[in-house]
Amino acid sequence: MIEAKAVNFAYHRGEPVLNDISCKIKDGEFVALLGHNGSGKTTLSRLFMALLHPRSGDVFVGGNNIADLEPADLAHQVGYVFQNPDLQILEDTVFEEVAYGPRCKNKSENKVKEQVEAALAAMGLAELSDAYPRTLSFGQKRRLGVAAALALNPQTLILDEITNGQDEQEKNNMMQYLEKLNQEKGITIILITHDMNIARQYTQRALVLHNGDLVFDGATADLYDGKSELSEWGLKQPIIATLSATFGVEAQNAKEFCEKLYLKEGVAQ
Amino acid sequence: MRITAFTQLITVLAVTAWVFLLPISAVATILVLELALLLYIKHDRLTMAAIGALTVFTGMMILLQLLFGSPLKVSLAGGLRMFVMTTAFLCLLAATKIQDIAQALVEKFRLPCEYAFMLTTALRFVPDFLTDSATTLDAQSCRGYSNRGNIFKRLYAYLAVVKPLVMRAVAKSDTLALSMELKGFGANTYQNMCPQKLGVADYMVLLIVIVLSAYPLWSKYL
Repeated sequence: MIEAKAVNFAYHRGEPVLNDISCKIKDGEFVALLGHNGSGKTTLSRLFMALLHPRSGDVFVGGNNIADLEPADLAHQVGYVFQNPDLQILEDTVFEEVAYGPRCKNKSENKVKEQVEAALAAMGLAELSDAYPRTLSFGQKRRLGVAAALALNPQTLILDEITNGQDEQEKNNMMQYLEKLNQEKGITIILITHDMNIARQYTQRALVLHNGDLVFDGATADLYDGKSELSEWGLKQPIIATLSATFGVEAQNAKEFCEKLYLKEGVAQ
Repeated sequence: MRITAFTQLITVLAVTAWVFLLPISAVATILVLELALLLYIKHDRLTMAAIGALTVFTGMMILLQLLFGSPLKVSLAGGLRMFVMTTAFLCLLAATKIQDIAQALVEKFRLPCEYAFMLTTALRFVPDFLTDSATTLDAQSCRGYSNRGNIFKRLYAYLAVVKPLVMRAVAKSDTLALSMELKGFGANTYQNMCPQKLGVADYMVLLIVIVLSAYPLWSKYL
């Protein structure tokens, strides 16, 4: 469980980036952290990982205040995957890359092997364990980043813009792996994203930040009910949500929408 | 009243020479003047951090000299000289745009354009490099590596960061080289921007520099 209590934050220039943020993310949730550029999403997620510390207020991970901790102390509880996969690659093979974390925690070689194989399998990279990480495709590098975080068996994963710059197929691949992790292993996932379709399709809860304020905290479906001020917050209603509302067909993606609409029309005829 | 990059470069070169020609008390006076000038030009956090880092580096240099058997007086003088020379360059960088320095090097010092461009590019990449290194250190820390502890442990942690940074720098320079070629770089058809003309202030500063340089040269060699 991750909890922020009345958190305020400002960088050195002094302008406030987060204003009085309070929220609680329970174990096993799949949460979307949404907001326009500069709204404070990444800053808030960095506070959850102790990469930054609040000016005032407290952050709790697993019930413990993390004010005096550094990211390495939290690595076995929270996995953080950065936006740029190239800057996270530290080793020469996929296996060694994923083994970096467990080795830092002084695990035995047998345990390291076991954890690495499980993490690679969970992200569909088992066959690439001997590959040179820099030759992987962009999507594979991203999955490698997640596998490297997973190898420490964290309860929570924080993923910063993990689907950016990927084609639809890679995006869906990634999201399906994450969904599986959430549903089968009960891993809490905090997904920082601009992609409203992804948020709608996969997450159960959404937190929306606007100019450093938490303006929405609720079920993701409620975000698209027409009552929330999406455009004012710099966000856009996904096309599928608009179509669903217009035709009265509840669907998560285009394929499902077409099938349901076809069935509905077929029944109507 | 502004002085051109050419005059500033000449002044910095003169200060570098004075450091070796003037007595140590005069060098210390130059340092005080330089620090006052630097803080007048720019007194933000970054400048303070640069001065702090330079102080630490100077301290380490003095310590090393002492360890290798130099007398205290010689070590202190060596450290002070290095501090004054570096601060002069900090003043130059704080007061002048990199492009103006490059233009002065090409126009007045007849440096080939390619080398001047190399200088500006190298300096432009420093902030990017620092940001990338901070991200990689953060990524390392998020994977469980704690760099708490003594300076050797921190240095060891930094070694792991070097590889991804070098790889990224190579990739960036490759992209930059390609994009420059696509824009016609290397076709030898350069046209300089508006030439930097020396004004009254420049001539006054240059005169002061010549006079101040003449005195130590006179007293030392004639």
